[in-house]
Amino acid sequence: MTSYSHGGFHNPAYHDSETLEIDRRYSRKTDHTNPYAREEVAWRGSNNRTVAEHGSMIQTVSGNDSPYGGWQEENRRGRENIPMGLISTQPGRTPWQNDLNRSTSYSNIDSQYNPSPPGPPPSSITGKSTIRWRGNTMRRMSMFPNTDPAYAAFTENAIKNEMENEEQNLVKELVPLSTRERIQAIQELPMSFEEKKHIRSQVLAFKSSNQSRQCTCFTDCSENVSLFFRRCGYAIRSTKQTLGLWQGTMKEIGGKFGTSVLSYFLFLKWLLMFNIFSFLVNFSFITIPVLVFEPSPNTPANVTFRGLELLTGAGYFRYTVMYYGGYSNETLHGLVDYDMQLSYFFTIAVYMALCVFVLVISATNSFKNNYTPEASASNGAWQLLCSWDFRVTNERAVRQRKNNLRVQLKESLSENSYSEQLTLSVRLKHFGIYLGFWLLSIGLAAGCGASIFFLCRYEEQRTTDSVSWTLAQEAETLVVPFVVSLMNLVVPLFYSLFNKFEHYSSQRRKVYALVLRNVFLRLSILGVLCYHWMNVVSKKYSCWETIVGQSLYRLVIFDFMFLLLGSFFGEFLRNVIGTTLLPSLGVPDFDIARNVLELIYAQTLSWVGIYFSPLLPAIQILKFFILFYLKKVSLTRNCQPPQRTGRAAQMQTAFICLLFFPFFVGSLSIVGYTAWSLTPSTQCGPFKGLNNTFSVVAVWMEELEEIPGADWVIWIYQRVIRSEVFYFLITIIIIIITYMFWQISQGRKELIGILKQQIVNEGKDKSFLLDKLQNLQKPNRSNKRHKQMNTEKHSKRPEDHSSGGPSKSNAMFQALLARQQLEEEEERRSTDGVPVPSDISSSSALTLAMMARQRAEGQEEHFTRVSDQHFSQSSGFAHVTQVTQRSGGQLTDGYYGAPEDLDHPTSSVSSIMMQVMQARQRAEEEDRRQWAPAHPQNQAPSGSSALIQAMLARQQAQNEFDDGY
Amino acid sequence: MGNKQTIFTDEIIILLSFFFSLHARYHELAPHLVPMDYTNEPDCKLPLALIVNMPELKENPFRNRIVESFSEDGMGNLSFNEFVDMFSVLSEMAPRELKAIYAFKIYDYNVDNYLCKEDLKKTLNKLTKEELTPEEVDLVCDKTIEEADLDGDNKLSYSDFENMITRAPDFLSTFHIRI
Repeated sequence: MTSYSHGGFHNPAYHDSETLEIDRRYSRKTDHTNPYAREEVAWRGSNNRTVAEHGSMIQTVSGNDSPYGGWQEENRRGRENIPMGLISTQPGRTPWQNDLNRSTSYSNIDSQYNPSPPGPPPSSITGKSTIRWRGNTMRRMSMFPNTDPAYAAFTENAIKNEMENEEQNLVKELVPLSTRERIQAIQELPMSFEEKKHIRSQVLAFKSSNQSRQCTCFTDCSENVSLFFRRCGYAIRSTKQTLGLWQGTMKEIGGKFGTSVLSYFLFLKWLLMFNIFSFLVNFSFITIPVLVFEPSPNTPANVTFRGLELLTGAGYFRYTVMYYGGYSNETLHGLVDYDMQLSYFFTIAVYMALCVFVLVISATNSFKNNYTPEASASNGAWQLLCSWDFRVTNERAVRQRKNNLRVQLKESLSENSYSEQLTLSVRLKHFGIYLGFWLLSIGLAAGCGASIFFLCRYEEQRTTDSVSWTLAQEAETLVVPFVVSLMNLVVPLFYSLFNKFEHYSSQRRKVYALVLRNVFLRLSILGVLCYHWMNVVSKKYSCWETIVGQSLYRLVIFDFMFLLLGSFFGEFLRNVIGTTLLPSLGVPDFDIARNVLELIYAQTLSWVGIYFSPLLPAIQILKFFILFYLKKVSLTRNCQPPQRTGRAAQMQTAFICLLFFPFFVGSLSIVGYTAWSLTPSTQCGPFKGLNNTFSVVAVWMEELEEIPGADWVIWIYQRVIRSEVFYFLITIIIIIITYMFWQISQGRKELIGILKQQIVNEGKDKSFLLDKLQNLQKPNRSNKRHKQMNTEKHSKRPEDHSSGGPSKSNAMFQALLARQQLEEEEERRSTDGVPVPSDISSSSALTLAMMARQRAEGQEEHFTRVSDQHFSQSSGFAHVTQVTQRSGGQLTDGYYGAPEDLDHPTSSVSSIMMQVMQARQRAEEEDRRQWAPAHPQNQAPSGSSALIQAMLARQQAQNEFDDGY
Repeated sequence: MGNKQTIFTDEIIILLSFFFSLHARYHELAPHLVPMDYTNEPDCKLPLALIVNMPELKENPFRNRIVESFSEDGMGNLSFNEFVDMFSVLSEMAPRELKAIYAFKIYDYNVDNYLCKEDLKKTLNKLTKEELTPEEVDLVCDKTIEEADLDGDNKLSYSDFENMITRAPDFLSTFHIRI
């Protein structure tokens, strides 16, 4: 046993910190069945030995009502700057009793196990406690691999007991949880499957035994229902997993190219699902009714199918349900009356609303999971420990990845030195280059927009608003989409070229700059097209919605063709050239950013077109489906994984946000503008004859007025939808809420900063204390016997004082001793298999020691300022040292006597306590007398009182230690 | 009250597909060792050498460490239960904390519950095919410790590691092996 407690001293790492707890193999968790468990345990674990007694002493001496009076007083005196989260106001129990209970239970803990903790189980167990379980169980798991034979012999029983105890506690904590929470909590336990099963069955057994008496029909029923739903959920989830589209393909891609490339394919799949959903919505609510009632389109006699329609979407297609014009404004009379106007309007509206909903949800989700506060500083650590992709299973890919990582590490090493050396002139040069290229890129985008504008006007003048076009006329319509797609293909190449000349400090910034420029380009082109449609086309054609729908159809088709061409030229030819003609070029990378932007653009087209051509998602589905296989083949044949893996998850978040913000919001506003402000064509479509699309609702309301029960709908329409006040109020409320959340997040940010600072401080304190401790331990090494060491310390102390050496080191010494003692004590306890909350008490021991250190530092300042008064201080000391000496002597006596009689030492200890208190008071008074006249401006508590407090802490630790033994 | 049955079906529904595919894989590794029927012969373990030859692990630079950290005896012998543990931690559904705990174990070569410089060096060498010069390895390790070590003890404790993980959202998706 002795060797064990010494082991702690010889191993410096052992003393290290709160994270020690991982290694505390015999550490225990306490029965945290009290909702205030954490506080209470902290209280008991750390200060109970010192302060609790102290408090009760005060109570007995001064008749103070509050049991913690002394403690709090002490706080005010010396430790204002220590966060006092440790103190809990625990009603009912006096700490003293508590303590006694504990010490008695320590003595017989080996023989009997006392499972029932007092008080009801906690009603709310939060994530905090879950984490604690995990911490504990982790510690427990880590016990086994490095078990030292020295401990194995005597602890087997203790460990067994402890584990049972822990398990029981765990089970008890799990019982009151709801089923879902419980399952989650069990899933999160870092245990083996067997143990989890065991615990689960125990929890269930416990639960059923508790409930068996009060089991009524109702609870049974509800239980069954909830079980049924849960099973359904599981079944759906598991089938989704097994039947998921392209499961194997995804695995293959992930294995060969890693997560970042996989994210492109996941995005593609997500968009595909999204389009399938929108197709189903549109098809079932708009198209099916029309098809049912008018199976054949009412095409004019001279229009036939010529083949070119597949590209242009004009001609024969013009009269089908593909476009807006194919629908009528009639109310279809069947089993029920089906109002086409309303259904068209509401389907589009609801679809758009659902899109907003889905996009916002997925964007915020992805933001929540992947947003990290700017962590560029931790790049190296991240690269080393978190960047390895465990999915990758392909041998070549693994080799390549290793290479890439090596290159990246080397680069980051050189970058570090490089970025510091940048001079002002170099910076200015870089800035000039950025500016130049940005201007150039924006100019290019604007030029593209302008050329599209003029092209559209030119085309406008050549076409006529006739029922059918000649073949040549039809072919001419292809010019605009061709030029647009060409621009989308070629201009980004220039952008990539620009990117090569610029020096970006980080890869991510480079990618974002590229993406931003491409977004500008596409937005400007789309903006010009939309302007053209809204302002020119809508005035010229008799059935202008259909014309717009056709243009969009052409754009979608050409975009698809250029995607194919792009992957052929960009990837296949580039691969051929790179491998045969110019080996220096090498195999092309898969450019995730460009590819994702292409997808986003394609999706935007389909959103804009949803009003003009409700079945556009069908084309989109086909397009994405083919694209998936095409890209997969092209990827595996031609490409290599990107050399610089950015943080894929963050990129994905950025892309979803991009999809939402400029692109979806843009198309939403275009559709909204069309519906609110533009006059629908008078010749065709569901809204012919109306001023604008939205007046459909007004017409509906008029109809509803005749129906008696619909007053409330009309009321809502009049008072809410059509009233400005409502929108005004909503806007104000949203702004206020936003502002509040913004403020809250600001506050949190500050708090995070403070907490980080605290961690750093604590680390510094710890290393400082460790150094001191090691210095102090060197002379003590020779003392093998622990008891001897104790007495030696006692005898050594007065010498230190009398020598008048640097009293700061005295205080330090005290503090360290106090800490040492606590730790020894704790180790001893734990070797006996007694439940000591080691994780908590060790950190609280640390706090204690830190407090002492702070005091010591304050004192040091003091000394440097007024060194001439040194003598009087040490006189204050003398009292206390005497007392301590005496108590030390007594304690060593009590040390041997204590185990027989547990009640007896309490009285002797309390008498010592009393003496110490008196001595302290005297010392303080003396101090005040000494200091107050001499330095009225000096308001800090005197140094000697600080010293005494440190000693007291130590003393009490000692008392407690002996008492508990 | 059919409680037994409830437990049974519940379990099955959660784990059915996962379990079957896993057991098929486990069986496939050593058809002559692993029984299909677990009623009589519950105690069988596969050695490390067999398990690291799975295509999912074969090319992984940490394959030995992964298997060792999940085996009870620390030598890499896995029973079927441990095998299930391994792939459930590495699956999509495992929570972040669980993944972090096991990732920490994997990187902790000397099982002292700290990632010290030696551990990091080993990791780095596995990740870069030992092609960096010793000075570079030193530099990278020092930099890593400097960046991630919050409490200044010159090695990474679990809380340091966890803190780093929370700032690396990719980790959840990359610490993942599809079976």
